[in-house]
Amino acid sequence: MPQDADAKSEERPKPSRSKTQARETSPQWFTTPQPIRRLFDKFPLRIYSLNELPQRSPRNRENNTLWIFTTNEGAQLGAPSFNPGCLKWQAYMIFKGIDFVPISSNNHASPTGALPFLLPASSTKNPLEAVLPIPSTRIERWVREKKVNTEKTGRPPDEGLEAKNQHVEASVSTKQKSTSKESSDMRYEAYMSLLNYRIRNAYLYSLYLSPPNFASIVLPLYVNPSTSNTLARVALSHQLRAAAETELLKQSPTIDVEATYRDCDKAFEALSELLGDDEFFYGEEVPGLFDASVFAYTHVLLDEDLDWKHTRLREGLEQYGNLVEHQKSIVEGWFGDNASGRSRSHKKA
Amino acid sequence: MADPLDSGDDIFDRLKKGVDPKLQEEKTRLANERELAQVEKAQRRLGELIQDNSTLPTTISSIRILNATNTRKGFLDRIFNPIISANQDRPYTLAEAIREVSIGADKLHKLDVFHEPISLFIDRPSHTEPSMTPTDIDIYLSVVEKSRFKFKTGTDIGNAEGSAYVHGLARNIFGGAESLNVNASFGTRTRSAYQASFETPILSNPDLRWEFGGLASSTQKPWSSHEEVLKGGWTKLRWMAPGGGMHELGYNGVWRQITGLASNASPTVRRDAGDSVKSSLTHTWVKDRRDNPQLPTRGYLNKSTLELAGWGPLQGDVAFGKAEVEAQGAIPVPIPGIQGESGVSLTTGLRAGLLFPLPLGTEAESKPSRINDRFQLGGPTDVRGFRLSGLGPRDGIDSLGGDVYAAGSANLLFPIPRVGKDKPFRFQLFANGGRLLALKESEIEGTDGEKVKQTLAPTIAELGNGLPSMAAGFGLVYAHPVARFELNFSLPLVLRRGEDGRKGLQFGIGINML
Repeated sequence: MPQDADAKSEERPKPSRSKTQARETSPQWFTTPQPIRRLFDKFPLRIYSLNELPQRSPRNRENNTLWIFTTNEGAQLGAPSFNPGCLKWQAYMIFKGIDFVPISSNNHASPTGALPFLLPASSTKNPLEAVLPIPSTRIERWVREKKVNTEKTGRPPDEGLEAKNQHVEASVSTKQKSTSKESSDMRYEAYMSLLNYRIRNAYLYSLYLSPPNFASIVLPLYVNPSTSNTLARVALSHQLRAAAETELLKQSPTIDVEATYRDCDKAFEALSELLGDDEFFYGEEVPGLFDASVFAYTHVLLDEDLDWKHTRLREGLEQYGNLVEHQKSIVEGWFGDNASGRSRSHKKA
Repeated sequence: MADPLDSGDDIFDRLKKGVDPKLQEEKTRLANERELAQVEKAQRRLGELIQDNSTLPTTISSIRILNATNTRKGFLDRIFNPIISANQDRPYTLAEAIREVSIGADKLHKLDVFHEPISLFIDRPSHTEPSMTPTDIDIYLSVVEKSRFKFKTGTDIGNAEGSAYVHGLARNIFGGAESLNVNASFGTRTRSAYQASFETPILSNPDLRWEFGGLASSTQKPWSSHEEVLKGGWTKLRWMAPGGGMHELGYNGVWRQITGLASNASPTVRRDAGDSVKSSLTHTWVKDRRDNPQLPTRGYLNKSTLELAGWGPLQGDVAFGKAEVEAQGAIPVPIPGIQGESGVSLTTGLRAGLLFPLPLGTEAESKPSRINDRFQLGGPTDVRGFRLSGLGPRDGIDSLGGDVYAAGSANLLFPIPRVGKDKPFRFQLFANGGRLLALKESEIEGTDGEKVKQTLAPTIAELGNGLPSMAAGFGLVYAHPVARFELNFSLPLVLRRGEDGRKGLQFGIGINML
């Protein structure tokens, strides 16, 4: 059973849960004799055009779609996701100037069992051809390859084909590192792990295991949109809390709340020092993946629309003015007033 | 015939040969006839006796059920007390009394608690008590209770699915013909299913039953790249209508989860992934007048199903009205030159369904249907010659199902030479077809009701646009008492692009085939 929300990190994905078997292809025991095959080929005698799709089917196949945790209005406005795992990649794609449409979804839809994932635009030739989803772990590579392809050919590549290639490549090649300046820094991995462990642990604890925050944020944003049924909501809430607890207990035999928060404060301090007086991390002109990763947490913690009842993490973060500035400049510069965010970011990029 | 002296002796050999098999056959036949005649005579005598005394005034002073040790007295009293003469304002005639008692015995039989047959004895009480009247009789019904617990495990293979199951049945739990059914199965397609249901007759009436139950299951839906996980419960009231129809009124509450998507699942399935709760009222009416449900040669079946989900106080996450009708008819086909039943028969079937979205609870707008509420069509048990759920709208490799469908089938069944018409085997020629459509998108602005109506009319009109998707073929049919097995060769005749026709052999097992 998949667990909802961000209890599963996209950095450490579980093995794919796609259990549905591939369509059986029966082995050919014998070859059909020619005359019979010729007769068979005459059937069906008549083929009419395609049946229309049901009303709920997504129609925007010509766009890249990023499936994230967001509200329906949020998806329409392109507002930042309220889930750090999703916001990281949403911000990253905006930074890279990728045109995409956010879609409000849940973990069951994802090929890995955790949002986000990207569904590349289908080729214009065959709009109903199956396009393989790109899980979050491969979005960075997809973006890089898309850039390379666009530069090479000067026109958008055939997405369907590309997605297939990637699927094959992924199993063959080892994960390549980004060639940008940020990743060449030796300490990059260390700082990334600050985010993925220390800050994330404190965030998970504060969100799921602190009852006031669970009631004011998790219930209205993660649980209630799934179903209107009270019993199902209780069951889902229980699953979410249990999943968060399991996730935290993976790293230590007991959950030491104070230590978790202290570690998080230290991590913020380290990040604040790393950022220094620069606008973006590693002194870049434009924000990159690391900025997106930091922003994903700082925005969710600082967002005025999120009703944090237990504010220990937010208060801790507010000690570091440059991190708050970093969050503010990204929201204003790349998301704008939510509505115009994406188009503006596009121009800037 | 084990004869110890049978050691090649000529006399014995000759003697043995002397017994003409024909003669022996004749002998047994005569013996049988004689026996039959005797039984008939005895019955006739009994019949005459009752006939002669049919107007004899009779009062039933008591009815005793023997050996019903686990059945509550109060429960049986409700069946038999009204018959006892103390509760009648006038005496019976003998014929009436016997009829009344056999109606009661018939009820016992329908409760499915006692073994067949239930024997009936009539006795005249000895006139020793002052309260006795000379017309008094005592009735004894001797029953054998069925075992209270049944436990079964086994494996099933069929319809591209293999499964293992555990089934437990507890009968007559509280002595009132209540039964508890517990089922667990694990399979390749239905990955796991647990189900428990409790059923009881109301007021000792076997034709009025109440049932409630719960289930938890997880089923693979490979035709639309997902797995559906269900948890829920239901309650049902079932009764027989005087005309022979069966009614069932029920409430269902199910939490559904569409999960475990295949990596190449279509955007439509991804969009529908996740949780939804269905809270619905259902009504089913069935009238089955076929001579054999698996291989009918004459008679008809009519069935209608209505479901109302999410509307008004029902709540839940989905709201729709769903209606389905089914009609099946069979007629024997006489063959010139063959006396009596030829064994050839023609069966035709028709099914149609409609799902219309309704506003949820107190909301103003209705929401479009989801994949787990829409109809699926195609496969060896409905439109043969198509893969499972091979008809209707498709997105990539996924069958999305439709909101409106109609399907029909005509099968001509022949007995197989040398096997005969009395065996449950037939050779069949068939042609079947159908359409499965999604509601069209509404282009007009207006109130919700108008919108749905505006989309419904053109969708239904579309059913008749062009030929339906069709397939025809021939095959073998075997009618097992619980299911029908078919092995057919078929070719698709008409298709919509994307629909999954199947050329060649197809094997099907079904309880209710089109």
